[in-house]
Parts: sequence; C-alpha cells; structure tokens
Amino acid sequence: MIQTTTRRGFLGTTAALGALGLAPGWTTAAFAQPGNTLRLRIDRDNNVLDPGFMTGGTEIEAQKQCLPFLAQYARDGETFTWEPTYFVTKLEQRDATHIDFELAEGLVWSGGYGAVTASDVKYSYERMKDSDWSGYFEALDHVEVTGERTGTIVLSKPFAPFIMITLCHGPGAVLSEKAMADVGGKFTTKFPAVCGPYTYDATPGQRAVFSANPEWTGPKPAFDRVECNVITEVKAAELAFEAGELDCTSVGADTLARYTKDMPEGTGIAVAGELQYMWMGMNTEHPKLQDIRVRQAIQHAVDVDTILQGAYSGTTAKSHGIICPGLTGQRDSAGYSYDPAKARALLEEAGVSGLELTLRTLNNQERMLTAQIIQANLAAVGITLNVLPLDGGPFWEMGQESKGDTWKELELWLMRFGTTPDPYEATQWFTSNQVGVWNWERWTDEEFDRLYDEGVNETDQQKRHDIYVRMQEIMENTGAYVWINHEPEAFGHSTDVTVNAAPSGELNYRRFGMG
Amino acid sequence: MSENRSEPVTGIPAVDASGLPDHVTETEIRESAARERREKLRSFLTNWQGLTGLILVTAFFASAIFASWLAPYDPNALDVPARLSGPTLDHLAGTDQLGRDTLSRILYGGRVALKIAAIGVSVALTIGLTLGMIAGFGPRWLDSLLLLIFDTVRSFPTIVLALATVALTGPSLTVVLAIVIITSIPQYARVARTATLTLRNTDFILAERSLGASMTRTLLHHVMPNVVGPLLILAAMDVPVVVTVEAGLSFLGLGVTPPTASWGTILNEGYLVIRDAPWMVIAGGIPLILTTLGFTFLGEALRDIFDPRMGKGR
Repeated sequence: MIQTTTRRGFLGTTAALGALGLAPGWTTAAFAQPGNTLRLRIDRDNNVLDPGFMTGGTEIEAQKQCLPFLAQYARDGETFTWEPTYFVTKLEQRDATHIDFELAEGLVWSGGYGAVTASDVKYSYERMKDSDWSGYFEALDHVEVTGERTGTIVLSKPFAPFIMITLCHGPGAVLSEKAMADVGGKFTTKFPAVCGPYTYDATPGQRAVFSANPEWTGPKPAFDRVECNVITEVKAAELAFEAGELDCTSVGADTLARYTKDMPEGTGIAVAGELQYMWMGMNTEHPKLQDIRVRQAIQHAVDVDTILQGAYSGTTAKSHGIICPGLTGQRDSAGYSYDPAKARALLEEAGVSGLELTLRTLNNQERMLTAQIIQANLAAVGITLNVLPLDGGPFWEMGQESKGDTWKELELWLMRFGTTPDPYEATQWFTSNQVGVWNWERWTDEEFDRLYDEGVNETDQQKRHDIYVRMQEIMENTGAYVWINHEPEAFGHSTDVTVNAAPSGELNYRRFGMG
Repeated sequence: MSENRSEPVTGIPAVDASGLPDHVTETEIRESAARERREKLRSFLTNWQGLTGLILVTAFFASAIFASWLAPYDPNALDVPARLSGPTLDHLAGTDQLGRDTLSRILYGGRVALKIAAIGVSVALTIGLTLGMIAGFGPRWLDSLLLLIFDTVRSFPTIVLALATVALTGPSLTVVLAIVIITSIPQYARVARTATLTLRNTDFILAERSLGASMTRTLLHHVMPNVVGPLLILAAMDVPVVVTVEAGLSFLGLGVTPPTASWGTILNEGYLVIRDAPWMVIAGGIPLILTTLGFTFLGEALRDIFDPRMGKGR
C-alpha cells in the first residue's frame, strides 16, 4: 500500500509536533568527549589577527595560542599578577625604565623562518607604536638587542604596569620579523608564522580550529585540538553547552543567576573578573545632542538600577565610571542620579520638545533589554527613542572614521569595553587622539589629556587614584555618558575541564586543564 | 444581456457571448445561481475544517482589531519587580523579562500580524494580478520579460533577501512588508498569467476585441472577474505564510523593532528564558499555530467549494 502525505495531514502532524515541542523538557547536560578535543564558542569570526590592528576579544585568544608572549597573567587568590612565560628564561624589571629579557632556547617559527630572536621582539614592539593599539606602547622608547636571544625593553618614562597590561595582553604578542616582511608588514586572518602549541585554521562563519603544532617543543597543552565554533548568540551557545556540544562557554546574566541558584550536574562556573565597563554613549557633535543640557537630561532620565535588575538579574555591579571594581581610581558614586523631574526641567530649559533619537546596540539579550528600559525611561521625559539592533560587524565599525560615514549619524549607543588590571588602559580610549577611533563621543579636553600622561608616569597610588577619579569626572561632565555596569565575564564549563581566563575575559586554551 | 453572465466561471463551461439559448430564461438562470450558492453555503457549513477555520480567523481578526479593549495592560508598560511571573489571575499568560503582560503583548502582536497580512497580501495580490494579466494578454516579448523577472524574484530565498535588505536599511515593519510583497507578487502573477492565457482566445474575449474594446477594458471587465476568484483563494492560503514570515523575521531580529510586540519577538524573548519561563514560548506559539491553521483550513475549504476539481483526495 502506498501511503501518501496530504497537505492537511502534514499540517496536522506539524501542529501536533509543534505543540509537543513547546512542552518544556529539561535535558541534563551530557558532555561528549570526542577524542582529546576542547570544544569552545567564539562569538564572531576572527577578522584581524595582527596584534596592531585587531579588534580584540577572541583574536587575542588566537594570538595566545600561536604566538610567543614574554609574560602571562597569574592568579594570586583574588588578585591578578603576572609571571614569565615558557618563552623566556628571564624577565626582570632592572629599574623604572628598563626590563631585561632572555628568550628560551629552541623556539622556532613555523614555515622555516628560523629561531625566535630578540630582534623579533624589537620589531614586534616598536611597530606597535604606529598601530591602532599604540596606547599600550605609549611608554615604550625602544627595544635594545643585546644578543641573539637577549635584550632590554627601554621605557621613555617610568610605567610600573607595563609588563602587566602590555606584555601579558594581546598587543604583547611577538611576531616573526622575516615572516612579516614576506607578507608586507601586515596580516589579517592567517598568521605569517606561528610559534606556540597550536597552529590555526578557520572556516569563516563556522569555526576556528587549533591543531597541535608539530614544531612545538614546549610544554604540551592538555588538549591536542581546540575547536572554537562561531555562535553569535550567547543563548544559543548556552543551549549547546547544556546539550553537551561545548565544553565551556560564556554565559549571560540570567543563566549565571540560574546556575548560581541551582547548578546543573557536571557543570561549573568560572568568573574571570569584572573588568568590563558598560555605558550609554552620546555623540556630542550630533546636532540633536550638541546642547549639554540635553545630554545631562538623558543622564538623569535613565534608571540604571532598573536596568541592573531587569536586564542583568541583579548579577552585575553598578558602574560609576570606566574604572572597574578593585582597581585604583574606582569611584564610589556618579555625579548625577536618576531624576526624571530634573531631566524634564533640563529639556525645557534647553527648549527641546518632541526629541526623537536612535540608540544603536548589539543585538543580544541583555543589551536589547537594557535598550528597552532606556526607551521607556526616555519616553517618560518626552524623548522618543528608536532602538536599532546591530550585529557585531557593523556595530564595532560604526563610530570609526576609517570605516565609513556612520559616525556622523551616531546619536546614542550602548557600549562595553573590557580592560586590564590597571586604570591607565581604560582611559586611553578617550584621549583627544582617539576621537573617531574609539572616542565615539567625540569630545576633547586638555586637562584629560594631561592627566592621562600624568597617570601613566605616576607611581604613588593615592595620587594615581586622584588622577583617575578626576579623569572620570571630566568624562561625566561632558554629559556624554550614562554609566551602567561592570559585567562579570562568567563561563559555564564542564567539570571535566578547568578554565583559564585573563582578567578581561579572554580564554587561554593552552592553559586549560582536565578536570 | 449582461456580459458577466456569458463569462466562464471556474468550473462552469463558457457560454457563447451571442446570447442565451431560447429554452433558458433569465429567471431560471438566477434560480440556478441561487441554488448553487445555497449548496456551496451548505457544503461550507457542513465542513468542520472550514467552520473551524472561520472561527479561528474571526477570532484572529477580532482580537487584533479590539486589542486595545481586550488587553488588560499596556503592552509596553514595564514592571521589573514582577518580571518572569508565571500565569496568574492578574497575568493570565505571565510576564516577560521586563514585567510586561504577555497576554497584552500577544493581543497587540496580532495587530502586527494582521497589518502585515492585510496590507502585504492585498498589495501583492493587486500588483501580481495586474502584472499577470499584462503578461498573459500582452505581446510575447513582454510575457517573457515579466516571467524572467518573476522567476528571478522567486529564486531569492525570503530569509536571505531579508538579511540583505535589513543590512542596508535596518530592521522595521516597513521592511518586513516590502519583503512580503516582493516575494509574494510572482506567485499571484503566475496564476493570473496562466488564467489569462486560457481566457485570451475564448470566444467571448475574441468577440469583445472584434467589437473594438481596448485592452484595458477587456482586462478589467472580462478577464479580471474570471481570474480574481482563484487568486482570492490563493490569498487566503497565503495569509498564514505571510504571518509566519513576519514572525520568523521578527524572531531573528529582522522584523519589528522594540518595543513593538510581535508574535515573533515574543517567541524570541521566550526562547531566551525557556528554562526559567516556558510559558512565554507557549503563549507566543499558540496564536501563531491557531492563526496558521485557521487560515489554512478556511482557504482549503473555500477551494474545495469553488474549485471542485481540486477538492477531495489530496
């Protein structure tokens, strides 16, 4: 007998299955172990692996697996410190402006580019002074090569956290000078030469794969292979993790709250730190926002406490500036408060009515919820807010003059930066020379620029604290910022693996372990 | 005599335009038509799928049109302390992550679906009908050109077209409408073209043309009335497709923008908290399922009645 499927039958069956599918079925995480492979999630493709011109995030994670670094983060209880990597046998701060190093013996670049030399270190660090990440090398004068494997990093001024925030972070990666010459001095998605436990290969939109480097002579990592699947949406990654398809993934605020309350079997949580700062930015040059009273009205109109509860389930710390909890320069409170009446008064004083603005944000759960709360808050003071959700690509380029003209139309946006354990790092993006690069608010202030230099040079902790507090006051007084929160970078992981993450949240796959 | 009486209706053989046979009176024709209508109505009323469809579709229209009276709360009013509350007497379908009443958002979401369905389908039908008739009645080269355009548009997957459009313009209800219209036009146009090709060489059309009727008059007064019936049935069948396209695009963040409630955004928000608040997905999914089934049942019942050749045995 031939059985035929009718349209009605199909619809009926589909409806029944659909209804069945809606019934909540709880699955227990079961982590698959296909060989010695670590399965992770990255939120986007790695578009630029060059330390000088990268966006950061998972691109830094890739560099840490395939390129030499002189120093790496180490955890001492609740605080982060640094330690020399396998790549050096010596890394010492001789005095305030001199750091001596000696590279380990036997390190070779792939592709026949020979041994890793002090000359490679000199090339790599000195080129950074003319890169997008030049702020990290502000204090660098030059690198002195004293031998094939030895040299001295010479700073132009004292800067104690140079090792911690520059050498441990992505910009501290060392490149092969010869390989870089062969590719014209810049690269994007393919390392010219690698020296690390893994080689790198990526399929855009699908995954980045780190395979064991056959030329690597250093310590063998716990996993022979690391698969980083491109999963844009954090919730999709969480579901994949709970289904046992990933060994570790970052989790959102709701899930962190749920796990904290009721941890699933075989699952652990690792929190990298609260070195992220999120704010709502305003373009001070935009005609609708040129009047500071309008910007101040918006500062008073936004109910940040409701955002923390509604969008983040109360799992994040309220922000009062860009300096994160536990760091020198963190402020206790902001200079404005939630006061809709004052917001309305400021708008009236500015003679503004019927204002319509557009808020651009990354299209993820927490940001969209935040945007909708802000939308309701601003509606309450008479401002119509349109929310424009964007994917990572267009979002991260929208304020950069080198990436098009969108910066001219920018009005409001939700932004989150990660930082390193020193206040200097967070402030570097808001100096005058960053206007149109990362200072999308587009204000300049001579005092801020001066204090930035002083902060880099100052070694007295109290004085540094005062400098960075004042710098945040200057930022806030532009009216261009509504401070929101410091989000912890939390990772859900199988108890079969141990996680290694930088304070700013980048994972270091080579330092993952078996649980 | 009336021109319309002489025109072929789907399922009824064409009658010569020169006049009625002598033995058939006009009264008999009217009685026959009335009898046929009664039979069709009886047939519809005894068709449980058709009735179910009619009830569901009526409920859909009523809930969307009267949403502002039926909704217990402002669909956009935040109540964060009450976020993710389960179904209670105060909130029959629970609340979402921002404490908004899910039932109210579903009712208002129906308005978005109705707007997309009504405007999208009617505009696509009008344009498709016009282009289809022109293709079927016009010169060969124009027919080939329009067919090429229809096939080109049909070859674009809806979601890919939506992604590309949204990348250029940003998400909005207007974009969703435009995508629905653009992707729906070819199917209406193709049906209209085929029906027009069938009609263009019938005697009554040839007679009309030989009497000097313009192409516009012929199309509007003689071709269109015969083509529009099947298209209306197709439109009824197309409504659930359009509603799910809108919901799908909004689910992906390519449709309506916040705080507008749409069934797609409710489903998306529900999916994000499915472990904590499964009622959001259930509440958002039920109206989508019922509306889809309602329009499908209604459309199929209408087709069974007006196009008996397609009736049973599918």
